[in-house]
Amino acid sequence: MLEVEGFTKYYGDLCAVDDLSFRIEEGEFVTLLGPSGCGKSTTLHAIAGLVEPTEGRIRLRGDNVTDLPPEKRNIGMAFQSTALFPHMTVRENIAYGLKMHGYSKADIEDRVEESLTLVDMPEHGEHKPGELSGGQQQRVSLARALAYEPDILLLDEPLTGLDRVLQEEMRSWLRRIQLEIGVTTLYVTHDQEDALSMSDKVVVLRNGRAEQIGSPESIYESPESPFVAEFVGKSTQFTGEVDETDGKAVVYNDTKTIALPDGAPSPGTDVTVYVRPEDIKVSTEPVGSTNEFPGTVLNISNLGNRAEMAIELANGTTALAHTGRFPDFGVGDDVCLRFDANRVIVL
Amino acid sequence: MSVERLTLGRVTHIVGERLQGRVSNRHLALLGVSFVGFFLILPIIFLIPESLNLGSSTPFESYRRAMDGIYIDAFVRSFIFGLATTAVTLALAYLLAYYLTFAAKRVRIAMTLIIVPLWIAYIIRYFGILLFLSPAGPFASFTGIGPGLLFTSPAVIIGLANVYLPFAVLPLYNSLNTINKELIDASRVLGANKWWTIVKVIFPLSLPGLVAAGLIVFILAAGSFLGPAVLGGPRQSMIANVIANAFLENFNIQFASALAIIYTVLLVGFLIAFNTVFDLQEVLEDI
Repeated sequence: MLEVEGFTKYYGDLCAVDDLSFRIEEGEFVTLLGPSGCGKSTTLHAIAGLVEPTEGRIRLRGDNVTDLPPEKRNIGMAFQSTALFPHMTVRENIAYGLKMHGYSKADIEDRVEESLTLVDMPEHGEHKPGELSGGQQQRVSLARALAYEPDILLLDEPLTGLDRVLQEEMRSWLRRIQLEIGVTTLYVTHDQEDALSMSDKVVVLRNGRAEQIGSPESIYESPESPFVAEFVGKSTQFTGEVDETDGKAVVYNDTKTIALPDGAPSPGTDVTVYVRPEDIKVSTEPVGSTNEFPGTVLNISNLGNRAEMAIELANGTTALAHTGRFPDFGVGDDVCLRFDANRVIVL
Repeated sequence: MSVERLTLGRVTHIVGERLQGRVSNRHLALLGVSFVGFFLILPIIFLIPESLNLGSSTPFESYRRAMDGIYIDAFVRSFIFGLATTAVTLALAYLLAYYLTFAAKRVRIAMTLIIVPLWIAYIIRYFGILLFLSPAGPFASFTGIGPGLLFTSPAVIIGLANVYLPFAVLPLYNSLNTINKELIDASRVLGANKWWTIVKVIFPLSLPGLVAAGLIVFILAAGSFLGPAVLGGPRQSMIANVIANAFLENFNIQFASALAIIYTVLLVGFLIAFNTVFDLQEVLEDI
């Protein structure tokens, strides 16, 4: 459906994107995830035809569109600023793309109404964008991008300006719409929750290069680099050298060892291991399993449906653990934490 | 014993502390308003009794005389030249401002080049154009259009447009520059080519700047004195020239005042009519 091949973009001497390649299949929801300045937005703009690649090719439906101007690519795009035309009503905004794509007057009217219904805003057609809330504006922006049935939908951080509650609501709403009409979608965000909750596939970008491409599960469960492990999700880190005792282990605090899952690197390798907070269990007394460490509760933050505990271990590492809503511990308590060797990520 | 040095910052601080709580924004506005009131509004109001000359037996004589053909011609000419200059200036300024906003690499240098002529006295610039257009000047030798252009209406409009161009470029550049660039991107992605984007998005969103620039240039051009005086002939006399003539050469203060009052009323009336027809509020809303 969409293929990006060796896309490279220089701004003067500054390399924004370096030899990036990935592909999107028909109907897939793919996310470009990365911190600001990683080149994700540049990539999206290049696909739209708004940024000229220094090198590389972009194919849409098998055709090389690298040299086509944006208006000839049949792409739908929602912008971070919504980019709704302030001097036009909602209806005129949606009709704009249809008009430019050569739809007849009657078709335009029908499709504008359909689009408004699709985004649950049938009664807002005559409003100006300035009269709508941020969430409503994003909906209109989406309706406008989808009205003329583009080959691919590009979303440039559309949820960034919204408050948290609305963000979560919009996420599931956006994904539902995308599945409903089956449009191939490329989503750009720095928000890992956006990426993990909506995508079929995630491309993690760093300094203009793809760090990892895979399903949200594989990105979260089996990151391939420390950057991905640290950027996506929270975790507790330990560093050390792999040592072969009974099975394989990582040195921890000279006296303790961390048991690693099968397939760990050979002895002598320096590694960093990561444990996700939901994989760490906390108890008052040791239960005598492997990978069990004593510590002191530093802080407990209630996240609503669960609590997150920060626990300081003997070697100074701060571990993060998720517990039930009302943990049986208080700040300053001595506790014991443990985790399954199979849940340890070794990099 | 240390004596605190009285620096500018210290003085500002002391003065600020004294004024704190006693001076509101309204007080500050009063300075500007009273300046304008004293030196603009009041003198104009004083012109009214002056023009009527109430003590005399024929108080409306000046107004009756102002209805003569030559004076009506001067009023009409002022408005026509004003409109023509506005049209020419806006067209040129729009192209310049568009270039500055979307294409220029060195906006500051370009801006400086546009503004620097404002530092040169109008009269010198008009004489520059006079020399350029004169029968022995470069324009004649380039084009072969001998002495035809000088002292004609086009010469006056060329001169006025030249002088007032910066006043139009600045508001236009400002309004073009504040257009969110993502709107232009959005228009392109939605299927509009460059030209449709200009027509449907950029132009409508630059209307506030266009209206502002148009009003500034029209008011300046319609009331201009030096342009027609230097570059025009007797048939290019605009109302300011007629008033100056009555005042400076014939010492007819009464008549000059009457012309000035009529012109002011016409201008204000024109602006009110413009506002009603185009409903500025409506045009500028939401932008």
